[in-house]
Amino acid sequence: MDAILRTENLCVEYRTHGLRLEITPALKELNLSVRAGEVFGFLGPNGAGKTTTINVLLGFIPPTSGTAYLFGIDVRQPIARQRIGYLPEMTYYYKFLTGEELLRFYAKIFGLPRLEADKRIDEVLKLVELEQARKHFIKTYSKGMQQRVGLAQALINDPDLLILDEPTSGLDPLGRMKVREIIQRLKNEGKTVFFSSHELGEVETVCDRVAIIDQGGLKAVGRVSDLVARHGTNLEKAFLDIIGYQPQSTP
Amino acid sequence: MLLAVCFTLATSLQLREAKRNNPIQSNNVFKLLLGEGRRLFAHEFYVMADVYFHSGYYPSIFDKQENQPAVMAAVRGESDNDEDTTNVDFFGAPKDWIDTFGWKFRLDQHTHLSNGEEREILPWLQLAADMDPQMVQTYTVAAFWLRTSLHNPKEAEAFLREGLRNNPDNCEILFELGRLYNEDYHDANRARNVWLAALRYWRAQSDDAQKSVENKRLCDAILVDLAYLEENAGNWLQAIEYFKMAKPMSPNPDAIQKRIDEARQKLAEQPPAINTPPH
Amino acid sequence: MNTIWALAGVVIKELYRRKDFYVLFVLTAVITIAAGMVHFFNDPQIVNYLKAVCVLLISISALIITIVMAARQLPAERESRTIFPLLAKPVTRAQVILGKFFGCWLASGIALLFFYFFFAVVIGTHEQSWPILNYLQSFWLQWAMLGVVTAMVLLGSVIFTAPSSNVTICFIVIVGILLLGRHLNVVALHHSEPLRGVIYTIYFLIPHLEWFDVRDRLTYNWPLAPWMDCMLATLYAAAYAGLFLLLTWLGFRRKSL
Repeated sequence: MDAILRTENLCVEYRTHGLRLEITPALKELNLSVRAGEVFGFLGPNGAGKTTTINVLLGFIPPTSGTAYLFGIDVRQPIARQRIGYLPEMTYYYKFLTGEELLRFYAKIFGLPRLEADKRIDEVLKLVELEQARKHFIKTYSKGMQQRVGLAQALINDPDLLILDEPTSGLDPLGRMKVREIIQRLKNEGKTVFFSSHELGEVETVCDRVAIIDQGGLKAVGRVSDLVARHGTNLEKAFLDIIGYQPQSTP
Repeated sequence: MLLAVCFTLATSLQLREAKRNNPIQSNNVFKLLLGEGRRLFAHEFYVMADVYFHSGYYPSIFDKQENQPAVMAAVRGESDNDEDTTNVDFFGAPKDWIDTFGWKFRLDQHTHLSNGEEREILPWLQLAADMDPQMVQTYTVAAFWLRTSLHNPKEAEAFLREGLRNNPDNCEILFELGRLYNEDYHDANRARNVWLAALRYWRAQSDDAQKSVENKRLCDAILVDLAYLEENAGNWLQAIEYFKMAKPMSPNPDAIQKRIDEARQKLAEQPPAINTPPH
Repeated sequence: MNTIWALAGVVIKELYRRKDFYVLFVLTAVITIAAGMVHFFNDPQIVNYLKAVCVLLISISALIITIVMAARQLPAERESRTIFPLLAKPVTRAQVILGKFFGCWLASGIALLFFYFFFAVVIGTHEQSWPILNYLQSFWLQWAMLGVVTAMVLLGSVIFTAPSSNVTICFIVIVGILLLGRHLNVVALHHSEPLRGVIYTIYFLIPHLEWFDVRDRLTYNWPLAPWMDCMLATLYAAAYAGLFLLLTWLGFRRKSL
């Protein structure tokens, strides 16, 4: 099966100009492959390079070397993003727009015809349970509502690939459950979901495969059950083992 | 700054009206707010009146500095450049293509307001007077246009009297007031009294003040107008005396002498009973 | 083009949902109406001073709205992180810049239209005449100028970190060009080399925004400027706006988000 998302020897280095030029490697020859229809978890400690990887996939930053592809198209081409939806970790949208106006704006960017856009807006608002608040300004939304409108805008173009960066961040348990349900539903529809998260319990529940990254390098990739079987009793123990965490012994 | 000025001006009307009804009040709100800086504003407003008189065709400080020789050449008719003669007046010929193209959008003809349009300069003169009540020419210039082109001698008189309240015993304002009485109200007696008062105050000035060219011209104008007044009243002897007093002040003494000779001839032609002794 | 117009639409919505425009419009209206209620020497026919006050306020307000709005666009997108969901769509950075430019320019044009309508009503009630073509020409030239200003400020937003610095510097530059731009060649003559060369270079490089300031023609009831020259001036404005937008794109595409 062809990979929907693929990176080949992806390297990203950040250059900081202080007294002397400092080069910080953020990604080191990352090779990833995500197949169509799977839910893929992307895990790693803080500063591992998860957000950098997503930024490269979305074209926010250029890779220093290597390549990344979405649907076989180089990520540097805007058309590569025609069939994806993206939910950023921090959900900020134009506060002076209503929820409906925001979705209509993004629908226009995707080139959706008016009637189709109207239908799609109704569907996604119903999915994320924001129908009552569609005419309210986003500045009046709670954190949870903003996260949901973020999910709505990620789904507006009925994407084949969804990239979610910490989708349950800041949500209460009910909100997290709803996000899990949406991810499961998308999987049932044959969509591909690529998401990074610190909530290992959720990852264990919904993901088909996971990749664990640490200090810019890929440490492990495979099915959750395989990793758990190899490294620990649960995903958390497996994660800690893979990244080489050694607990400090108590005196 | 513009907003502060506009707001202050908008609120100054009541003060002006109050001052008109109660002349004892001498509080000037601009003096309070701006101090002596108000004189700068007054000068600028006076210049704005001139700008409006020329319908916006007016040189900036850069144009004045640069093109003074060109201006004088244009006045003498010695301009070499025939192509852009409309611009030579104040501005000189365009220096480059940017200048040339810019002239397509700028005002490029030297005109003066006329046929009652001179009213447009009045707001700026009034503002100048409000800013600096001691700026005498605002009163005289405004009164001149009010009574001549705008046929509004009442407003002219009121404005001149306001000027006199702020500048007691000012000869220029008195002179202009006399012209108003003479030319607009045709009240020769009032005009005579006002001009004589102007002459008294002029003579009360210091010797140095009297020697300035402008002051001498003013005295000349007062005396000549008094002389004409007396001529019209048939008081030839008095008219001759005034002309004689004006001759040393005048920039054109020959013309004055000619008027004296004409008056003497008229006097000689009159029967002796009509001649009144000079006062 | 859909993307560009979609972005422009968001900018226009932002204009009429923020308070800046209404505050400036009300201020202009209040000052103009107050000035119009004054009768100098009891002569109700005096009107040119009112025109001068009103068009000056309109010019200043339009400049403020345009500069502040344009200076805010790209930095606000980065600061509020709305740039990320935007660029995650099939949108290029060039489209973002063009969308912001057209949005700001159209928004400033709409604001200017409201101001000119108010001006026409107020002056028309005093003068009992409505020289519509003169108003249209003045509006068009001023709007063309605001296009250059918008592009210049967008460029500034890529160069300067803080929007406040951008606003201040752009305001000084633009007012400087309007007041002094046409005199720089005269100033240059009064200096020796190399300063003369520097001033001349500045004179020929800056966009001559003073061409588009035809307030005097409105105030003093001068006839229309030739339409062919207006068209050439519009092309000139388009060229400068295009140049500034190109430089903006070159700066923005390299900038980290």
